[in-house]
Amino acid sequence: MEQFIYYLKVSLKSIKRAPLPYALTILILSVGLGVFFANATFYYRLNSDPLPDKSDKLFFPMTLITPYECNNCLPPRVLSYSNVQKLSNSGIPSAQAAMYSSAGYARLTLENLPTPVSLRVTQRDFFEMFEVPILHGTVWSDGSAENQVLVTKATALSLFGRTDVVGESILLDDITFSVIGVLNDWQMLPRLYDANGRNHLSEGADIYLPLETGYDLNYLSNTNSVSYDDTDYRQLATEGRAGALHQLQFWVQLDTPADQQRYQQFMLRLAEDEKSAGRHPAPINNQLVPITEIVDYFGDASGDIEAFALVTLLFLVVCLLNAIHLALNRYLSNQYEFSLRRALGASRSQLQLQMLADVLLMTIFSLAGALLIAYAGVVLMNALLPQNSLFSSWDIALIIALVMAALICSYIVTLYPSLRASFGSLNQQLKE
Amino acid sequence: MITLTNLSKIFRTELIETHALRNVNLQVNEGEFVALTGPSGSGKSTLLNILGTLEGFDEGDYLLDGKSVNGLPDSELSKLRNQKIGFIFQSFNLIKDFSIYDNIELPLRYRGLKAKERKDRIESALELVGLQARRNYLPSQLSGGQQQRVAIARAIAGQPRILLADEPTGNLDSLMARQVMELLEQINKQGCTILMVTHDPDQARRASRNIQIVDGQLHDSTLYEPLASQSA
Amino acid sequence: MSLSLLLKVILHRKIVTTLLLVQLAITLALLLNSILLANQTHQQLNQPTGLELENTLLVQLKPTTPQLRQHPALEDLMQRQIDALQNIPNVVAASYSNQALLTQGGSNGNLYDVEREDTSNIESVPIYTTSPEFFDVLNVEVLQGELPSYSDAPDENGHVGIVLTESLAKALFPEQTSFVGLQLNRGPVRAVVSDFYGQRKRSPGNETLNSIQVIPPESVDWGYTLILRTTQGQANSVREQLTGTLQQVEPNIEVYYIRTLAEQQRELYSNEYGLASLLAILTALMLLVTMISSYSSTHFHVLKRNQEIGVKRALGASKGLIFLELLSEGWICTLAGAILGVGCALILNQSLSQVISLPSLNWWLPLVTSAILLLSVTLATWYPAAIAIRVSPATATKAL
Repeated sequence: MEQFIYYLKVSLKSIKRAPLPYALTILILSVGLGVFFANATFYYRLNSDPLPDKSDKLFFPMTLITPYECNNCLPPRVLSYSNVQKLSNSGIPSAQAAMYSSAGYARLTLENLPTPVSLRVTQRDFFEMFEVPILHGTVWSDGSAENQVLVTKATALSLFGRTDVVGESILLDDITFSVIGVLNDWQMLPRLYDANGRNHLSEGADIYLPLETGYDLNYLSNTNSVSYDDTDYRQLATEGRAGALHQLQFWVQLDTPADQQRYQQFMLRLAEDEKSAGRHPAPINNQLVPITEIVDYFGDASGDIEAFALVTLLFLVVCLLNAIHLALNRYLSNQYEFSLRRALGASRSQLQLQMLADVLLMTIFSLAGALLIAYAGVVLMNALLPQNSLFSSWDIALIIALVMAALICSYIVTLYPSLRASFGSLNQQLKE
Repeated sequence: MITLTNLSKIFRTELIETHALRNVNLQVNEGEFVALTGPSGSGKSTLLNILGTLEGFDEGDYLLDGKSVNGLPDSELSKLRNQKIGFIFQSFNLIKDFSIYDNIELPLRYRGLKAKERKDRIESALELVGLQARRNYLPSQLSGGQQQRVAIARAIAGQPRILLADEPTGNLDSLMARQVMELLEQINKQGCTILMVTHDPDQARRASRNIQIVDGQLHDSTLYEPLASQSA
Repeated sequence: MSLSLLLKVILHRKIVTTLLLVQLAITLALLLNSILLANQTHQQLNQPTGLELENTLLVQLKPTTPQLRQHPALEDLMQRQIDALQNIPNVVAASYSNQALLTQGGSNGNLYDVEREDTSNIESVPIYTTSPEFFDVLNVEVLQGELPSYSDAPDENGHVGIVLTESLAKALFPEQTSFVGLQLNRGPVRAVVSDFYGQRKRSPGNETLNSIQVIPPESVDWGYTLILRTTQGQANSVREQLTGTLQQVEPNIEVYYIRTLAEQQRELYSNEYGLASLLAILTALMLLVTMISSYSSTHFHVLKRNQEIGVKRALGASKGLIFLELLSEGWICTLAGAILGVGCALILNQSLSQVISLPSLNWWLPLVTSAILLLSVTLATWYPAAIAIRVSPATATKAL
C-alpha cells in the first residue's frame, strides 16, 4: 500500500511537471464521457423496463373488427367499446383493463375555483396489472358505473391538504364523486400503457375513474378517437358504446406462453366469426403486441435520443482517440525518465503498477469532470428537448456505469502510451 | 571573403552583461582552412554562429563577399546560408525521419533546384564521402563516422563557398576523426573556405591558419602567413 | 519543402496520424450532418405560412365549469370575450376557432367531391369552425365567392357552406377553375381563400390544405382558440392585457397559453430546433477537441523537433518556410481526414435518417465543412508553429 502511495506521488509529480497536456487530456476525456453520459441517461431511462417482473406478460390486442374497408392496413391503435367487450369474454387473461385519458376540473365545493386535473378512465384490474401502490382505501369493487374515484397522493394533498381522504367527496366538473382510494407515490416510467403519440413520456393522471362512468358522463378522450361510422364522438353515453368509435387502449395479462397462444387463437376465431357476420370487411390482421415493444410498434420511439446515442458514441470515440494521442505525447516526453528508471532497476511489473496509479488518478479527475459536464448536458437537454425531461434522473446503476466507463477509458488512454514508453528499446532511449 | 570589423556580441540577462565577443576583427580569404581554438566558453561557437548568420551581433559589421549582412531580413539570411554556407555540427544533426538521400537533398530543395540537378549533386556528394550504397538508410542505421560523412555530404552538396564546422570530430573515435579530417582537407583543396572549431591541437596544426579565442578576443597566431604562402 | 517529403514525415508517425485522421473524419461527418439538420430546421422555420406571424396572437383556453362549455352559455361567453378583445386598443380583429393554427394534429375530417368520392377523397383535412371574423383576423385574400356569416341558412342536408384554401380546392377539384357551388360531402363550397399554414403534416406541402366553416359554437370539448390580429408591432402591448381582460369577462376559464403565431411556429418545430441546437453544440465541442488535438500535436512535435527545425534553418530554410511546412502538415492531414470524413458523413447520414428526418447530402456541404475544419486546424496550429520558428538555430543545433 505504502508502495502504491509512492506511485501515486510519482504520478502527481509528473503531472505537475507538465500540467497543460495533462489538463487537456482530462478535459477531452471529461467532455467525451460527460456528453456521452448525458445522452446515455435519457437513452437508458427511456428504454428501461418499468415492470421487469411482468413486462413479458402484458399485451395490447388489436383487431380490425370495424366498418373499415382497407387492404394491408394495420388495426386501429385504439379499440371501440364493443370490441373491448368482445375481447373481454375470452376468460384467458389473469387481468385485463380498458382505458383512455381525459381531463376535467375538480373542486371541493361550488365556491372554490376549479383546478384542472388529468383523468384516467379505466377498469379495476388496471391497478393490479401495473402494480399501482394504494396508500389508503381500495379500488372499485366491480366494473359498474359509480361516481367513485381514486386520486393520487399529490392531488389529495392539493385538494384537501392531507392524504387520508377516503370517504370524502369532491366535485369533478361539478358532479359529486366519493374518494374510495388514494394512490401512494407512483411513477411508472416510461408509462408504456399509454404509448400513443408519445404520451408514455408524460406524467400519469391525477384522478382515476371507472370506464363506465367516463362513458356515461361523456368524458371525451383527449388522446386519440376515431369514428369509422357516423357515431358522434361527443355522444359517448348514447352512441359511444355501440358505434365504431375507437378510443380505448386495452391491456391483457397473459401469464404463460400457452395462454398467449390461446389468446391468439381466440382473437383469430373472433375475427373469423365477425368476418362471417359481415362486421369485419378488411382482411384479418390481429396484433398482440407485448408491452415492451409497444413504443416501437406505434413508431413513437424517441428518434432524437437514438440519433444522439449514435452521435455521442462517435464523439466519445473521437475524444478517446484524442486523449490517447495527448497521453502518448506526454509519455514520450517522459520517455527518458521511464528508461532511466528501468536502467536503475525498475522491473516492468513495477512500471505497470506505476501505470495503474496513473490510471487511478486519471479516472478520478476525468470522472469528476464527466459528472460536471454530464449534469450540464442533462440540464441543457431538458431545456432543448423538454418532452424527455422526466427521464433525466440518475440512479446508482447509472452512476456505477459511468465510473466503469471512466475507468475503462482512463485505462485505454494510459495503456498504449505507457506500454510504448516502457517497452521501447532501453539502450536507444538513453542514448538519445 | 569574410571581413569582421569591430564586431561585438553581448549576452544580457537581467543582472549581468557578458561580452561573448569583443571588438573582433577578422579577415578570411577564399580557400583558407582556418582552425579556431580556445577554452570552453571563450566564444568560438558564438563566432562560428555569427559567421553562419545563425546568430546576430550587437556592434561592428560583418561583410560576406563584400556585402554587409547586418540588418538583412530573415529570408535574405536564409538564402545566404542556403547558397554560400555549409554547416557541419559536432552532433551531426541529421534529420532522423529522413533517409540519407533525403537529408542531403534538403538544402537543395530549399534552393529550388530541379530534380535532375539535385540528383546529380547528391550522387557526387555521396561519392565523395563514399556512402553511395547507403543512400536509403536512416541515420540511426549508420555509425557516427558515417553519419558525420553524411552531414559533410549534405553541407557540400550545395557547393557552398564556406564550410563552417563546429568540432566535427568531437563525437568520433580517432580513426573516424582522421577520415573526416582527410575529407575536409580534400574539400578545402577543391577551393572551399573552411572555418573549423576544434579542441584538438593536432587537427589545428593541419589547418592553414590558427586563430585562438580567449575571452572573446582573437589572437591570430599565424596572421598573414598562409596568405604569404598562398601567394608564393 | 516538397509534398513528398511532408508526406514521408506524416506517414512516419503512423499511429499518431491514424488517430488524427479518424478523428478528423468523424468530426467532419458530424459537422456535415449537424449543418444539414440546422439548415433543414432553418428552412422549416422560414417556409411561407401565409400568416402575419408577428402580429397575430393565439389564446388557447377552456371554461372550467360544465355549463359554460355548453350551448347557450358557451356562445354567449365567446361573443363577450370577442367583444372585449376587440375593444383593446390596437386590436384589428378577433375571432374564435375550434383549433389553433400551426399545430401538430387537431380536429380533422375527410373531404371529397360527392360526384367522385373514390378519386377525390382527402383524409385528415383540418376542419376549422370559426366566427365570421376569422378571415379578417388571418388577413387572407378572398379569391372566389363570398365569405359566409352566421345568418347563412343550411341547405336541405343541414350543411352550411365551406370555405376552402386555394390549394385544397385545387386538390379536390383538379379539373375545375371555378369552385363556388361545387358539392362536398360536408356541404357546398362557399368561397376560396388564399393558402395559410394549418397543421403540420407528415408529407410536406399538405400544410395549407384547410377548410373553414362558420358555425356558432355548440359545445367545447378540448378548449378553443381566440385569435386576434394587432396593428403592426403592437402584439406585445396587447398580449399584456389579454389575461386581465379575459378574466374580467369570465373568471371560470383556464388559459393554456397565449402566443404569437411566430412563437407557435417555433413551438411546432421545437423538437427539431432542440435537436439541431444540441448537434450544433456537440459539433462546436468536437471542433474544440480537434483544435486542442491539432494544437497539442503540433506543440509536441515542435518540442521534439526543435533540433530538426534548427538544422533546417541552418540549411537555409527561412522562418516563413518552416512555418508553412508546419501548417502544411496540418493541412495535409485535414484534407485526408476530410476525404475520409465525407465517406463517414454518408454512412452517418444514412444511419441518422433512419431515426430522424434528415435531408441527404448535397455536393457543396462537404466543401464548406472541410473549409471550416481546415480553418479550425489552421487556427490551432498557428500558435505552436509561430513559437516553433522562434527557435534559435544556433542553440537548437547545439542541443545534446
